[in-house]
Amino acid sequence: MTKLELNVNGKLRIGEVEDRTLLADFLRDQLGLTGTHIGCDTSQCGCCTVHLDGRAIKSCTMLAVQASGAKVVTIEGLAKGDTLHPVQQAFSDCHGLQCGFCTPGMIMATAALLKDNPNPSDAEIYRGLEGNLCRCTGYINIVKAVKRAAQTS
Amino acid sequence: MTDTHAANRREDLRLITGRGRYVADSNLPHQLHACFLRADRAHAEIVTINTEPALKCRGVVAVFTGADAIAANYKQFPNMMTFTNASGATILKPERPVLAHGKVRFVGEAVAMVVAESALAAQDALDAIAIVYRDLPVAVSVEDALAAGAAQLHANVPGNLCFEWDTGDAAAVERAFAKAAHVTRLTVVSQRVVPSPMELRGCLIGYDGASDSYDIYTNSQGILMMRWQFAALTGVPEEKLRFHLHDVGGSFGQRSAVYPEHAAQMIAAKKLGRPIKWVASRSECFLSDSHGRGIVMAGELALDRDSRFTAARYQFLCDMGAYLTPTGPASHVRNPAIGMTGVYRIPALHGNFKVVLTNTSPVAAYRGAGRPDVAYMVERLVDQAASELKIERDELRRRNFIPLDAFPYKTPTMGVYEASDFAGCLGKALQAADWNGFDPRREKSRKAGKLRGIGLSTVIEGTAAGMFPKDQVAIEFDAQGRLEVYTVSLSTGQSHETTFTEIVAQTLGVAPEAVTLRESVQGKNLSGNHSGGSRSLVGCGSVCKLAAQKLIEQAKPLAAEELELEPSQLDYADGAFRSRDGEKMIGLLELAKKLVGTSPHPLNLMAEASVGSTYPNGCHVAEVEIDPETGVTEILSYTAVDDAGIVINHSVVEGQVHGGVTQGAGQVFGEHAVYDRESGQLLTGSFSDYYMPRAGWIRDIHVNDHPLPSKVNVLGAKGAGESGCTASLPSLVSAVLDAVRPLGIQHLDMPLTPSKMWHAIQTAKAE
Amino acid sequence: MFEFSYLKANSLSEAAAFVAAHPDAKLLAGGMTLLPTLKQRLAQPSHLVDVGRLPELGGIELKAGRLAIGAATRHHDVATSAVVRNAIPALAYLASHIGDPQVRNCGTLGGSVANNDPAADYPAAVLALDAIIVTTQREIAAADFFQGMFATALEAGEIIVRVLFPVPKRAAYEKFPHPASGYAMAGAFVAEMATGVRVAVTGAGPGVFRWSEAESALAQNLNVAAVDKLTLEATDLNEDFHATREYRANLAKVMTKRALQKMLATK
Repeated sequence: MTKLELNVNGKLRIGEVEDRTLLADFLRDQLGLTGTHIGCDTSQCGCCTVHLDGRAIKSCTMLAVQASGAKVVTIEGLAKGDTLHPVQQAFSDCHGLQCGFCTPGMIMATAALLKDNPNPSDAEIYRGLEGNLCRCTGYINIVKAVKRAAQTS
Repeated sequence: MTDTHAANRREDLRLITGRGRYVADSNLPHQLHACFLRADRAHAEIVTINTEPALKCRGVVAVFTGADAIAANYKQFPNMMTFTNASGATILKPERPVLAHGKVRFVGEAVAMVVAESALAAQDALDAIAIVYRDLPVAVSVEDALAAGAAQLHANVPGNLCFEWDTGDAAAVERAFAKAAHVTRLTVVSQRVVPSPMELRGCLIGYDGASDSYDIYTNSQGILMMRWQFAALTGVPEEKLRFHLHDVGGSFGQRSAVYPEHAAQMIAAKKLGRPIKWVASRSECFLSDSHGRGIVMAGELALDRDSRFTAARYQFLCDMGAYLTPTGPASHVRNPAIGMTGVYRIPALHGNFKVVLTNTSPVAAYRGAGRPDVAYMVERLVDQAASELKIERDELRRRNFIPLDAFPYKTPTMGVYEASDFAGCLGKALQAADWNGFDPRREKSRKAGKLRGIGLSTVIEGTAAGMFPKDQVAIEFDAQGRLEVYTVSLSTGQSHETTFTEIVAQTLGVAPEAVTLRESVQGKNLSGNHSGGSRSLVGCGSVCKLAAQKLIEQAKPLAAEELELEPSQLDYADGAFRSRDGEKMIGLLELAKKLVGTSPHPLNLMAEASVGSTYPNGCHVAEVEIDPETGVTEILSYTAVDDAGIVINHSVVEGQVHGGVTQGAGQVFGEHAVYDRESGQLLTGSFSDYYMPRAGWIRDIHVNDHPLPSKVNVLGAKGAGESGCTASLPSLVSAVLDAVRPLGIQHLDMPLTPSKMWHAIQTAKAE
Repeated sequence: MFEFSYLKANSLSEAAAFVAAHPDAKLLAGGMTLLPTLKQRLAQPSHLVDVGRLPELGGIELKAGRLAIGAATRHHDVATSAVVRNAIPALAYLASHIGDPQVRNCGTLGGSVANNDPAADYPAAVLALDAIIVTTQREIAAADFFQGMFATALEAGEIIVRVLFPVPKRAAYEKFPHPASGYAMAGAFVAEMATGVRVAVTGAGPGVFRWSEAESALAQNLNVAAVDKLTLEATDLNEDFHATREYRANLAKVMTKRALQKMLATK
């Protein structure tokens, strides 16, 4: 067991984990942040995407202990109080989600993409979402949502 | 359907803020964690199984095997295939064990279950279970399984053939073929795919010893269907099974059935007296979730001198995997049988179906459930006939469409089609896709070294027929007098909270926010169907409207009493009862609040209806470009014109079409569950090997509607969940073949991977 | 995942000491290959030695015509580095096409090179540019480093510190991604060096290799037509249900042509 200390959604969180605990499992099981989903075991689906020190990463492919000392933002920490993040708002406005399971990862990936590239072209959006799978929407409205968010951010 | 500024969905807020509640998010105090040891081979006898070493592993509480499952004395998996064949035989049902005993029959079959204090500890102990197998010959394809001397999966299923069934009039077909001016023949494969909803399969089961009853949290498509199946499998009475269903991360038919893992967890929960939680890994899902499609189809179409279809006959080889799932046989036999005539007047039809077992993961319904497969067969035959007879594809279709004045149209096999305007859909689609302006575009691509093709499909599907004869909806008022609507359906992404509350609110003339939808709630004594078969809006949605209408009638005398008038003096509009003279009024919701305190609330009610089959139909046009250097196909444009009946929420329907078309495109261009013929190992066991469509693969889908209202339900809706899949398989393949037909390529089977396309083009060029 | 102990190294020498002390330890940098492997229970290391944030393994520097990139540099940082984009834009381009954005934010140059996945992108650049792999013990030439599928010249306990890429006159990379995994089904890195044009192919074979016929042809005629005439021998290439070896051979050629075309379009 190893102790770890990290800042999650602006709060200092302390935990003790088995070394093999994945960051995604730590967030879900110990911190109760179940908005971070797990959808595969080969780092393909991106449902578990969170921001680590400002960059999008797949929390199912990182050990919790690796993240010790880092600043983590999950889907639960994206809105400012009752004000949704522009990407969250855009996903809802454009019907960019159906079952909602891939949505937290999609939103976190999009938020990171727009931070690097506030005005992405279509091709840049496709590449920006390469690490995220959705089975419901056919991505059409997700791409629309990314564009809408780019306009409103 | 051009409404791109849709109202935000009711379900969105919790889902975009991480507050959705999926199966893995549920926990119970003192829960234990299960992990399954799965067969690492496709067909073998279990000689010995030793669980002792696993029991000694840290954190392990118990290990369960097939022997425990037998001791539990559970019954059999139910099956929805009820009809008999001409010789009076019903389907042979192989025994499906909860945990394998005696034999394993596919890679991934659950053999043992370890229960431990943590999921990691349970997983660690799997390696300590020692099994000695004696390998048996393997058959992973229907052809291999039906061959003489093939491996026999089950003693009670000789030749691995569970069922053979004929429909239609073989003699009439024979006569028509004898007189035919032209016969087109084609064998096509709708390959096995893995449904892969994004949420992993999982389950949490608690047991209450005092009442000998269970609390069940699992991904599902609706409470009643699940409860019935659990009870049928385990013999536990339905009233002792309490279901707690929340958000579901996609389903596509894969969540329509009870699974062995469910039953194993019930056994463990009862024996250990602690809740048992299990969440699959994606690798486990690939191995053990029900797969979809898997039909080899041979078709023949007879035409007269005027190129009118006179007869068609088909042979369907349906791959069911190693065991029968509850929905598999019915979806692979009944649904194709209904669709065998397509959108065409074909006087004589005959279909022969063989339901076959193979050493692979069991097959169940998958988006469309047999409808996309048969539509693909019919449309490929029509395209092939057009090519052979050198008739334009749209012209051959127009010549053979069931005309508007022929409805309701009783097909020669099963089903009575509702009124549909096939020529209207076709005309609209061709115009929207600029079908007639294609030649210059083909030429432009040719100059750039590319092969361009345009394709179409005109399809229909019989949907909405539920298993339960009635759909019931309750309206109840809570302690604060707030309006709640209870249904048996369960959204797995189809936006019921938005659509159903819209229906109720519009009927009542109140704000949608005043209406709360509660689906598949435990303890509500309602009958009705789960969400599947494009039927929730048609069945449940239309009863929501009836319930709202009933509420107005039921409230009227009470409103009159409140206003000290006669009911006949009141009119209802915009959410309120008003006296004719306009002097007095009371809002419905205000009235409901005033009536709080009487128990039950006097406005509580239940409405119901029996809704028959509806027939969504449409025409899709796809345009593609192939790079002959790499074999890559790019989808340049996609146009859908659908008759989904009356549309309640355009953006929701559009979203369903987007998703359906994209899943279809996945099957057309890459998805394929590939088993190794010799070893029976699944070669596509993860998202690293199994192709999934990604963002940008289809850049846009132009969705238009051409509605003819359904007559079988008060909304006039026909359903939209599966039509995108059904129409996209044939339209996309039609476009690809159109691109390569000039090279002499007449036939290709899905998936049309770059490698396959490149080889086909190379071979054609060499010839 | 099997159990293991996590050791965070605070210096390169400490990392080396950890690996020396634990023969069944594995180095953890970005973890993009290692962690999925562990999750599938395909490896059982006793310890993971985290070198992912060691300053000694960082840094991007152009010195004496060579671009030195620290082994723990993330793909994203290579892709967006002004120094890399100036010196070897093809390398930045390659890095920007590895995996997906989340993978590029974690995965490292050293990890990719040390793993030598036959479908990885970096080995194509390392081999085509005739780079030098600097380890805790020595310098290894690219030609000696890659030894076939997942095999390298690295000894037990040896840690890659940085890779030195000679700056070519011009270069380009093109890849055909695997439809599911995104790895290269075939990728070609073409580089015009002082000594001539070098072509390295990844993804198609059991390991990265130089396409010598293409290099010879290009030495005669530096144009796409020179490659167009060639056929890459398919016998030793990979084959699976996604792609036949003949198709992979074709892809390698097409990617070579496209990389060449792109390279020739740059001044």
